[in-house]
Amino acid sequence: MTKKLLIMCGTGVATSTVVTGKVKTWLEENGLEDKVSLHQSKISDEINRIDDYDIVVSTTIVPDDIRDKVIDGVPLLTGMGIDEMYDRIEKRINQ
Amino acid sequence: MQIDKELMMIGVDFKTKGEVLESMGARLHGLGYVTDDFIENVLDREENFPTGLPTSPCAVAIPHTDTDKVLESKIALAILKEPVSFSNMGDASLEVDVKIVFMLAIEAPGEQVTTLQNLIEMVQDEGTVSKLAAVQSVDECSRVLGDFKAQKN
Repeated sequence: MTKKLLIMCGTGVATSTVVTGKVKTWLEENGLEDKVSLHQSKISDEINRIDDYDIVVSTTIVPDDIRDKVIDGVPLLTGMGIDEMYDRIEKRINQ
Repeated sequence: MQIDKELMMIGVDFKTKGEVLESMGARLHGLGYVTDDFIENVLDREENFPTGLPTSPCAVAIPHTDTDKVLESKIALAILKEPVSFSNMGDASLEVDVKIVFMLAIEAPGEQVTTLQNLIEMVQDEGTVSKLAAVQSVDECSRVLGDFKAQKN
């Protein structure tokens, strides 16, 4: 079954656009693109329906009650800790 | 990375992120690239969704706001004389001492993807970040940005 992967930031404009591009490329390079449908949005639009998604990557701060569900996407912006972040996404894709 | 020289502020001296954001926003506003309430919205966004990034060898910030506050897509750049504290984008409880600020005025996200991707690639390039932090003039700044572009092609 296809997993729904949400990428969100504060505005749904800048950082989530960049991160979505990078994740899309990574999915293709790893032959995972058929397993995942990608969604891009801003946190305020998603906060009440976060359980609709299997995997959530955020480049912005999230409320404590959903923190466990969310993978920190900031490594894609700073270049540091990228491999660990992709490992976490891949694990959830294959769960 | 295309940044207009008139939107570059080199060696500017500010004490707080609020001062930085107001000054950069005023530059964009003075040139007619953003709406009257752009600055207010950027300040507000920065409180709720901070944009400090702990890049190496020095931190950057990429403040921005909604597309409807923008009249013409532009990027403003400030190289600060002394670092100013911003909150970390991924964890607001962490502060980062930011030396370089890119204020993004983005009219339509789709058209800006390449620009944004280039920007993010650039701030991950330690050599370029280090050179940018040390520039003394607008011309030198343009040269560093141009060199990064050339190195990529």
